[in-house]
Amino acid sequence: MDKNNKIPFDEDNYTHNINKNNERKLDRRGFMKTMVGAAGLFAVSTLPWGSIAATELMGLREKKYAKKEIIDVNKLKVGEAFEFAYPTDHDSALLVRLGDNEYRAYQNACTHLRCPVFWEKEKSELVCPCHHGFFDVKTGSPTAGPPRRPLPEITVQVEGGKIVATGVKRYET
Amino acid sequence: MKRSYRGVILLCAVLFLNIIFTQKAVHQYYYEDYTATVIYAVLNLVLFPIALFIYHKEKNV
Repeated sequence: MDKNNKIPFDEDNYTHNINKNNERKLDRRGFMKTMVGAAGLFAVSTLPWGSIAATELMGLREKKYAKKEIIDVNKLKVGEAFEFAYPTDHDSALLVRLGDNEYRAYQNACTHLRCPVFWEKEKSELVCPCHHGFFDVKTGSPTAGPPRRPLPEITVQVEGGKIVATGVKRYET
Repeated sequence: MKRSYRGVILLCAVLFLNIIFTQKAVHQYYYEDYTATVIYAVLNLVLFPIALFIYHKEKNV
């Protein structure tokens, strides 16, 4: 009848058996459970790094390039450069003979604004004349001027007296 | 009742190693040292069953 006027009134909402004392207390076992959960979280969080690294190791991201003859070895003297196109006819590239058996080849579109890059024999440097960008011939990395990214390197090898382009190393775009 | 806190200490050590391996894996990834990245990721994965094992051993001690 007038039970709602009694304070506190008799409970009839079935929550009297829910005991929340110490609910948030972290005991030894609960702490250990948390640590195991955290270990699992760390394990899962390194999975993407590991799997991406594994795909890199297996070479799944490497592009395949067709081999292409560039020039006869005895037609290119030491210190000379030769312009060719690789991998397609529209990608101009530059081959430099640095020593008897040392060659470097780069796609010679400057990484600044894609002007052609030339071989400067006297300075032993690759030069982009548009804005005076300079590249190191050994690595293709920029040494001066506006370009900030290295030239894409083309792998070459000598096969039967001919210099052959075998592929393009991965590069920043 | 006297409790053994060996499990707590061991699990703390496991989590510490987890942190180290995660950081190492990420750093070696950016250094393009992919073998090391894979090794650290695998080590991190191995630590989880170890942690579970420690928990089961120590929960009632």
